Formats: sequence, C-alpha cells, structure tokens
Amino acid sequence: MRLLFPFLFLLCALPVFAGEPPDLTPVKKWLIKQDELHTVQADFTQTRALRALRSPIATPGHIWFGGSDTLRWELGEPAKTIVIRKGDTYFLIQPAKKKVEKYKADSIAKRGGAMGFAMMNFPIAKDFADFNRQFETLAVTVTENRCHLEILPRDAQAKKMLEAIKIDFEPSSGHLLSFELATRDGSSMRSDFSNVRVNHKIDRHVFEYDFTGYEIVDGKN
Amino acid sequence: MERTKLRWIGIVVALLLFTGAGLSHISFNVDILKLLPTHLPQVKGLSLFLKHFAQPTELIVTVEAPTPEAADSAADALSEAFAKRSDLVQRAVARAPWEKRPADLSELLAYLVLNQPPEKIRALVASLSAENADATLKASVEKLGESISPQEVALLSYDPYNLAGVLNESGFLAGNGQQSEFSSADGTFRIVYVTSPHGFANYKAAIAWVKQIRELAHSTVPDPTIHLGFTGEPAFVADISGSMEWDMMSSGFVTLLVIALIFWLCYRRARPLFDLQAMLVLIFTLSLAAAGLFLNQLTVIGVGCAAIMIGLSVDYGYFVYQRSLRHGGSVAELQRQCVRNIAWTSGTTAAVFFALNFSSLPGLSQLGNLVGIGVVIGAIVMLTVYARLTMRFHGREEARPPSVVERLFSTPGFWQKGAVLATVVVVFLLGALLVKGPPPPDFSARTLRPRNSEAYTALDRLYARLTDDRDMLSLVVAGKDEGEALKRLRTAEASLAAAEAHGDVKSFRTALPLAINQRANLLPLSMLANQIPRLRERAIAGGFKEEAFVLDEAMLRQWSAWTPKMLFAPIGTPTLIWPDNETSRWIFRRVASRDNGQFLALGMVTPMPGHEDALTARVQSDGTWLVSWNQLGRELRHVIPREFKHVILALSGIVVVLLTIAFRSLRAVGLFVVTTALVLACLAGAMSLLGMSWNFFNLAALLLLLGTGTDYSILLLLALTRNGGDAPAAQRELGLVICLCACSASSGFGTISWANHVGLASLGQTCALGLIIDALISLFLLPRVWTLIHPKKQSV
Repeated sequence: MRLLFPFLFLLCALPVFAGEPPDLTPVKKWLIKQDELHTVQADFTQTRALRALRSPIATPGHIWFGGSDTLRWELGEPAKTIVIRKGDTYFLIQPAKKKVEKYKADSIAKRGGAMGFAMMNFPIAKDFADFNRQFETLAVTVTENRCHLEILPRDAQAKKMLEAIKIDFEPSSGHLLSFELATRDGSSMRSDFSNVRVNHKIDRHVFEYDFTGYEIVDGKN
Repeated sequence: MERTKLRWIGIVVALLLFTGAGLSHISFNVDILKLLPTHLPQVKGLSLFLKHFAQPTELIVTVEAPTPEAADSAADALSEAFAKRSDLVQRAVARAPWEKRPADLSELLAYLVLNQPPEKIRALVASLSAENADATLKASVEKLGESISPQEVALLSYDPYNLAGVLNESGFLAGNGQQSEFSSADGTFRIVYVTSPHGFANYKAAIAWVKQIRELAHSTVPDPTIHLGFTGEPAFVADISGSMEWDMMSSGFVTLLVIALIFWLCYRRARPLFDLQAMLVLIFTLSLAAAGLFLNQLTVIGVGCAAIMIGLSVDYGYFVYQRSLRHGGSVAELQRQCVRNIAWTSGTTAAVFFALNFSSLPGLSQLGNLVGIGVVIGAIVMLTVYARLTMRFHGREEARPPSVVERLFSTPGFWQKGAVLATVVVVFLLGALLVKGPPPPDFSARTLRPRNSEAYTALDRLYARLTDDRDMLSLVVAGKDEGEALKRLRTAEASLAAAEAHGDVKSFRTALPLAINQRANLLPLSMLANQIPRLRERAIAGGFKEEAFVLDEAMLRQWSAWTPKMLFAPIGTPTLIWPDNETSRWIFRRVASRDNGQFLALGMVTPMPGHEDALTARVQSDGTWLVSWNQLGRELRHVIPREFKHVILALSGIVVVLLTIAFRSLRAVGLFVVTTALVLACLAGAMSLLGMSWNFFNLAALLLLLGTGTDYSILLLLALTRNGGDAPAAQRELGLVICLCACSASSGFGTISWANHVGLASLGQTCALGLIIDALISLFLLPRVWTLIHPKKQSV
C-alpha cells in the first residue's frame, strides 16, 4: 500500500538547458561567509504554490540556528509544525496532535523524505567542495546586491522530484534572502526571510521542547 | 534349458519396463518445507503461504544500474521486449499499474475507506455536510500550507475533502519515500515482474523457460554496467532443480570412479571390477526406478541417496568377491557362506534407514526409504548375480599373485602399527573434544539454502535494496469459504489488537473486506454521490482547482456504483465488496486467494523484537497461522533436537535388540555399544577441531552411522565368533573388506560434501568422517579389546 504515492510525482522532466558553465565565484564567497555565522535568527514567510490550488498559500514562520547541528524551525502563527534538530536527530513536533516524530539526520539524507527537511537544512553546505559534491549548479545570476543561485541535488531520488532549488542571498553580507524548492509537477515552496539577526545570543531554551504528554514515534522517511 | 532362457528373458523385460516406468516418474521438489515436519504450525502456515501467494509462474527480474536513468530505460526496454513475446510472457510489469492509470487508485481508496469503522465514516460524512464542508476544505488548505511530508501534500492536493484521511491510522498510507516494490529509493535498482503464460509441467520446463527469459533479457540489455538478476519461484525451481540433478549425477559418478580406483589398487583385477561397476549401476537404476514409482517427488536430501546407496551396496560386492577368492566350491555354496553376513549387515542397515520413517522429517524419511530400498536391492543383486559372476572367472583369477595391498593386510606389523595409529588418533580426538567442547548447534536458515544460487543472490540484493521484511510475520488465514476465513481473520485481528495493547505488536495490517463495516458504511457514503456538484463547487470556492476534485469525485461515484451489488444481493447471502480493476487485482494478488474450494487471506504483522513467540502462541489457532522464516527457525530449534533424540534412542534400541539375537552374547553387544559410543565421541572431537557445527541435516548423520558404520564392528564381531576369538585371523579375513567398505562408503558420502545444498553437504562430510573413524576403531582397536576381555576363552 505504500506504493500508492509515487505516481503523484511522476511528471514530465524538463530538459536542463546546457550552456556556458556559470561563474561560481559568488557562491564560493557566500559559502566562506557562512563560516562567520555562529547563530542566525530570522522570520520568514513560506509561500506554497501547489498545482491543485488556485492561489498560493502564505504561512509565517521563524528559524533559529544555534551552531552546528542545532536548529529550530517553526511554521504557523501560532506554530502548527515545529522541527528541532539536536545533534543527529530531528524532532518533528505537531502540537495540535501532541505528537513527535523522530528522524535520524543521516537516514533523512539517504532516503526519500529528505525533501521536506531540505527547507531547514542550514547551512546548505560546509564548504565549496561539499557544495559541489551535493549539488549541480544550474545558474548563477548577480544583480546589484542580490545573487540568484539555481541548483539541483546530485542525489538521484531528490532529482526525480525536484526541478531546482532556488536561493537568493546578499553577496556582501552573505545573508539568505529566499529559499525555494521547485518540484517537477510545477509546484513550489518558497521561504522569504526577513528580520535576519546574525551572531546574536540565542536563549538555549529555544532548542528545548517539553514533550510531556506527547506521543513520541520513530518517523518513516 | 529353453524354459530357463525364457524365464531370464521374462525377468529382463520386466526389469526394463519397471525401470522405464520408474525413471520417467522421477521429479524434484525444491521446496525446503517438504524436508521439515508437516505437523509444525510454522511449516503448515508457510506451505500455505508459498502455495497461494508465492506466484509460481512469476519471475522477478532485477535491474541494477549505475544511474537511475539507465535503470529506468533498461527496465522499460525489458518490459517492452517481454511484451512482444506473447508466446513466452503473459505479462511483464515494470511500473506500478497505477502509474499508467492513476484513476484506478480511486477504487482501491474507496474500498479501504469503506472497510473503516462506522464511527469514522459517520464523522467523515458529517465533515462533508453543507455546514461543515467549508471548514473541512479550510483545514485541508492549512495542512497543505504547513505539512512537511511530501506524501501528505501530494495526496491532499487531490483529495481536498481528505476522504483518505480516515486511513491515516490504519497504516495503509505509511509510505517509504520513493521506494516501492518496483524501485529502490534512489532509482538505481528496478524490478520487472514477468509472468509465464502457463504453469510448468515439471522442473525441466521451468529451467527452459527461465533460460529463454534470461537470454532475451541479456540480449535486450547488453550493457555490462547494468547487472540483471533473476529470482522468484520459477528461478528457484530452475536453479535448485538443476543443481540437484547435477549433484545426484556427479556424486554417483564420482563414487563409482573412486570405488573402481580402490578396487584396482587392492586387487588389480579388471574383469571383477567391471562386473562390480555394472552391478552398482544396475542397483542404482533399479533403486531410482523404485523411487520414481513408489515415492513422491525427490527432495534435495533424497538427491544424496545415489552416492550413499552405491557406497553401501558395494560393501556386499566386496564381501562376496573376497570370499570367492578363497572359495573352491559351487556358486550356491558361496551364496550360502555369504548370506548370513550380508543378511545381518544389510538387514541392520536397511532397518535403520527404513526406521527414519519414524522421524517426522519427510526429507529424512525419503532418504531412508531410498537408501533402504537401494540396500535391499544391492544385497539381492550382489548375492544372486555378482556371486555367480565372481565364480565365472574364478580359475583364472586364482592364478594371480596377491596385490601389494592384499599382502600388506596379511602382515602382522601392519596391524600392530595400525593399532598404535588408531590409539593416537582416538586420544587426540577425545582430547580435542575435552578442550574445544562439543560442536555448537547451528539451526539457522543458512543450512536450508543452496551454497550457490543466482536466485538467492538476486533475492538477497532485492532485500538489501528494497524493503527487507524478513522480521515481519505473515498472518495466513484459511477457510473453506470467504465467510469462514473472514470470521477467523476477525478473531485474529482481535487477538492482534489485544497483543498491540499488551506491547507484543508494533503494528498490523489486513486489507480484507469487513462485511459489518461495509454494510454500515456503504449507504451513507453512496448518498454523497448526490452531493458531487455542491462539493465540487465548494472545493473551487475554497481555493482548489477543478482538477483537484477528480480523485474525491471518483471515490464518491465508486461507492454509489457498489450500492446495487449489496442492496440487491439475495437475502441471506453475505455480499462482500472487492475492488476488481487491474490495479486492485495486482495489489490483491498477495492479499487474498481462492483455490480449490479454499479461501486464504494474508495480513502483515510487525512484532516487537523478542515477542514473536508469545505473539505466535497468542494468535495461532485452527486455520490461522502467524509465520515467517525466522519464526520457523526458532520453532525448529525447539523441535528438531528433541525429535532426533527420540529417533536415535529408538534406533539404538532396535540395533541392540537385533545384535543381541545375532551375537547371543551380552559381552559382544556391550563391546559394540562401547565401540559405537567411542566413535561418536571421536566424531564430535573431529567436528569441533574442523570448526563444524550440528544442524538439521548432519544430526541425521548420527542415525546413518548407526545404520552403516556399525556394520564394521558387527562384521568383526561375527568374524571373531567364527574364528574362535582369534583376533589376527579375524583381521586377516575381513581387514581388507572392511577397509574397502569404509573407503567406498565414505567416498559415497564424501562426494556429496560438495553438493550445492549446504545441509546435504554437511551431512556428507559428517558421515564420511564418522565412517573413517568407525572403520579405524573397529579394525584396529576392537579386536585388541576383544582379546583383552576374553584372555583365556578362545571361542564364544
């Protein structure tokens, strides 16, 4: 029965335009700047444009990045979906259902459920070599103080579903402006960041969550 | 004279007819469950599972490529090539049927929803009412905006009223990303299911079909970077039957060669050697013909019979020949001299082998019957035909000088040195047993498998690349009709629900119709079809495109279409709704089966690790089994050692009673018992030393040793009796024969050491080792001990 779903993703693949290899200098600089980010807090608006919907759905959210492998991402006001990463474990919390699903980071990376978590994969790569190992660069466009990057994961499974990951950032500060997942069925999920605060102290309690009364289960990727 | 000639012609014609009829009936059964006790619930349940759900005509072709694109195009090319060969392939499926016809899924989803508890359906129907529809749609839109599950987003996008939402807790919608029964998550491993247009008359037909498919597949995908594998029931039949045929022929042939070599080394006489070989081929052919006529299909263990029966029957030939060398009288006198020894040894051997029928292991019983028949035929042929032949050239043979080996066996120094060597070996092996302990048990499924099998290799890759469900238990429910099976299924579900509450079960899933739920749900669900225009209009108003309502609309129409079937069913007839489009049939081929007046249903249970035994005990009942290969291993671990203990004790009793009658001396019987115990202790030491372990199959070696190895001590004890307790005389008389017998029998068992079946090979190794040890102790030590315990008395 688990086989019922992949068909929904099977849509025509668009050929990727093969031209001059893009200049990746801004990407290299951006990734170097990522090293200077010890903490990041930001608000965002996630806009989902789904094929089945007549108009996109916009939902506010917040993200806190507290150093390597420490993250809190929440969607909705008040939060309907919360993801906390602690070390190699992601906790997907649904307060309304009083339910927590646990995922191992490495199993998410290996298997098909990675897409949902890709939105909160911060920073996107450790360095340029790691970036090149993970992604194929489709396009890099720089306009004034905005760099638009289009990439595609090299992972075959992600590639089957995704048409592109589109990232906009400020070349001067390295701040992320937007992050978009464009799927092959024509849908997209875009997060536009605002109120970005870099290297401000974050209360450690942000990365804690009281699971009392919650059902905790191992998630299926 | 004329009458005798006619009688012989009649006998030959009858034997030819018997042989022809018997050999044409020989067939192999590769099902390892046929080797195991049929009364065990796990064996019963798994047999039903394999018979009804293993798809005997479905070959699984695996495609492993470096990139998903290459795997994709190879799988599609294969599917296309197979589809063009309608003479060879009925159906080739490389993609889930619902990928081609997504609309088909609406029927399956409608069916699954229809079987949910009525309270859930009441809530669902209420959520679609004019008052609640907008709120339901709003909740769906919110979920679409918040969910991070791609599956949930994908389904909800085309199910705005969340009709499939009632299935969330049932486990039916538990996905595994992009992984399916057709493709690995990364897409580099693909599966093509290929069905033969007809069943297979025998294993040769299966071998031929799989060969054709294999050739077609390799010519369609010649790329060496793409690896093709072939598994599934026809591949197992082809693979294992082929290796069984080869094992049987090669081990029989090699045994004949080894016997010829041994005979030549000892006697250096060509004519009796050719006669002996001809007798062995005759015995083997007659025994196999008898097996073909009187026994069921040969199992993988029965295959070992060829080498064993040749190795044992030749003993009687050696004995007859050895006696003939010193015989000066007629054929009848030679036959009379030999009959007592051959009758006792072949009698005990055949009795022990036939007594394997007391075992509840059908594989062992079959081996016992085959070898028992072979031994009896062997004794008769050697006494009646070979004895006559040995005397034919007697005059010419007599003139020949004894061979080097014959001279060696008549030297006293040989026996002294042999006794020292045997003592050293026994002490060494007993020491090894003391230091290393007895061989450990290994009752894992490994011993039930062939050593080399492409079908198993492909299956292992399939488990590694797709879902490995070997820890899951299959719930198999059988009944004489749908009603009975479903009633039992409901009882099993209740037990599973209780077990889930008790913490024995992680989850369980059955997809069979629930009559009571269907009756309660169908009417309210079908009434929704009238609301389709309103629901579509509200969905569009709620933010969905018209195309988003297609799946919900199809489900609503499906419930409406099913209603007349249930409403207008004859009174008193339980009517069940089954999904029946092509996609549903594909999925349900492994869920329910109707066959020969029996209905079977299948469910999947994920047990809590370590709770399998408790769970099985709780759920298993009449017509209901909870089975898995791992669980079978656990059951056998309990049952088999106990089973063997009983059979070994019974056989030991039979042998001791027979020998008490034969020897008429308790001291001789006592000596025999001690010798046998020493042999078994040394065997255990040798096995520990060689890193061998006990398994289902080589435990049978103990039984076989009781039947064959004991012959050597029996022959020696009888010779000692005959020679008035003169040990050297007895050794001179029978030393060479016993040595020949031991070498031939152990070469017979030794040749199955390289059999493809791991268990059969271990049986061969253990028996060969045991026979050599037995011969060593019987030949060199037993006569010495006899002399020690009979110091004054020279005769018994």
